[in-house]
Amino acid sequence: MDALTIAMPKGRIFEEAYELLVKAGYDLPKELDDSRKLIVEAPNENIRFILSKPMDVPAYVEHGVADIGIAGKDVMLEHDRDVYELLDLGISRCYIATAGMPDTPMNEVTPRVATKYPKVASQYYRGKGEQVEIIELNGSIELAPMIGLADRIVDIVSTGKTLKENGLVEYEKIVDITSRLIANPVSYRLKQKRITELVEKLRKQASV
Amino acid sequence: MTIQMFEKPLGMRDDFPFIAKKKAELRANGTSIIQQAGYDLLQTPTLEYYETIGKISAIADNALFKLLDSQGETLVLRPDMTSPIARIAASKLLKEKMPVRLGYYSNVFRAQKREGGRPAEFEQMGVELIGDDSLYADAEVIILAWNVLKNLDIKSSRFVIGHTQLLQLILKDFGLDQEQIEKVHSTFVSKNSVGFESLAKQLPIEPSRWESFIGLMSTSTVEEWQQWIDPHNAKQNSLFEDMKKLKKILDRSGLADSVTYDLSFNSHMTYYTGLVFEVYGAGNGFPLGNGGRYDGLMKQFGLQVGATGFGLRVDRLLEIISAVPEEEDHTLILFDEQNEDRAFDQAQELREQGARVTLQFAPAVLAVDKFSGLFSNVLRLEGAN
Repeated sequence: MDALTIAMPKGRIFEEAYELLVKAGYDLPKELDDSRKLIVEAPNENIRFILSKPMDVPAYVEHGVADIGIAGKDVMLEHDRDVYELLDLGISRCYIATAGMPDTPMNEVTPRVATKYPKVASQYYRGKGEQVEIIELNGSIELAPMIGLADRIVDIVSTGKTLKENGLVEYEKIVDITSRLIANPVSYRLKQKRITELVEKLRKQASV
Repeated sequence: MTIQMFEKPLGMRDDFPFIAKKKAELRANGTSIIQQAGYDLLQTPTLEYYETIGKISAIADNALFKLLDSQGETLVLRPDMTSPIARIAASKLLKEKMPVRLGYYSNVFRAQKREGGRPAEFEQMGVELIGDDSLYADAEVIILAWNVLKNLDIKSSRFVIGHTQLLQLILKDFGLDQEQIEKVHSTFVSKNSVGFESLAKQLPIEPSRWESFIGLMSTSTVEEWQQWIDPHNAKQNSLFEDMKKLKKILDRSGLADSVTYDLSFNSHMTYYTGLVFEVYGAGNGFPLGNGGRYDGLMKQFGLQVGATGFGLRVDRLLEIISAVPEEEDHTLILFDEQNEDRAFDQAQELREQGARVTLQFAPAVLAVDKFSGLFSNVLRLEGAN
């Protein structure tokens, strides 16, 4: 049995995906309480998990140090790495949308958009023929329209709670997001049997 | 932007002696296999016209290095080898000698958009077999690529083979028009199963053929392809028969366990018109090389002939084979003024015997111990002894 290295995003998606693998019949260690661990071994299945920042999963997979990985579609749209997208896992469902203060039109002189997803945002506004200035931020994006840094933000919305709490409203939905199973093109060919088997097992579990 | 003293343009690399040596070995090794198979090596210019090679090469426009010559014409740094070789083959010189077998080992240039440090100049080694549209030509180049890899001691290489034309005909059978076929192609190129399935939902596929359509993405043997072959379609049948024959030849040549036949496999290089393939090896996360049939490219040079070939990425091969630097015999002779003539004679003598000898005037060395440590043998010819 080929050894398989799986890159997983730390945090909530990891837990959901891990559960999915267990449900699919994989014999994985039950206790994973040490959350600072970066590498988790599942010797019974000859699987090794590497835990990374969600944004970094496609980079590990593209270079082949991880054979497969679980990544949000948002990350894949933003980073455009050469990886195979094998399965929609249907977990961590959310969407990317534009938001801002209620009833505020875009500034006509210098419309500004703050976002963690500069590529997605700029593609969206260019597609609409609007010229905007993109400001890349790394977190707490909601702050930008509240203090007047930007008229709009482009960000992930899952429940809409964060927007509401900060007095923001959603304007346009850009794209639906779920977590995807991705594979390195070389691993996909060299370990095809194991990877297709995994895809089939997960397909049965995935809620789509 | 201020440029630091040691900086090089984005994607350009120095080859240090160890790498340069490995590359020279790899080149000698690979090109000898290629020549043994009856191919003649050639070299094409580094600069080409944008209007011809630049446009024909099928490399994205923003990946081309462009510059102007003194007449104001736009030039490109050669982005691939296949198009220049096609140009040569189509020129008068070789037209009468078809089929021609040409091989190369050359650097090509492709500007990098992502992350610093990825090579924008790299060497490719490959062949083009021009003027033969039979399946034997396809089999020949695949087997040759396999032999080159085997000779470089690259174990467990794997070929994935698809067929652009056959796939096109099969997609047509599902009632898709050209625009829809292109959309399907692009999901196949990036092996985007999720994108393919969601695209399929918008296509006019008969519900009874849905499963069959989705299945296109997951084949690994030629036999599996049969289910999509329309027995009344002569073209499809003859292409499929060719594929079966090709498989037989590859099996006989020792590739039986090293090939995946994936009907949906496809290349982003738009000039491929028939069989296409890519090759992978354990130890590198990126493909080692690719190839296929490109009759359409020859047509652009006004020639109606078949052509097929492959190219291997030398930098990626190197990453697999150069894990450990080897120890080698290298003698150092340190001498001073007194022993000058003795040292020269001895060096000459050892070199004639085939040894690698560095002759060094001792007083010019700053740290003798450190310097001596770089060599396997040290002879000190100093003082009166």
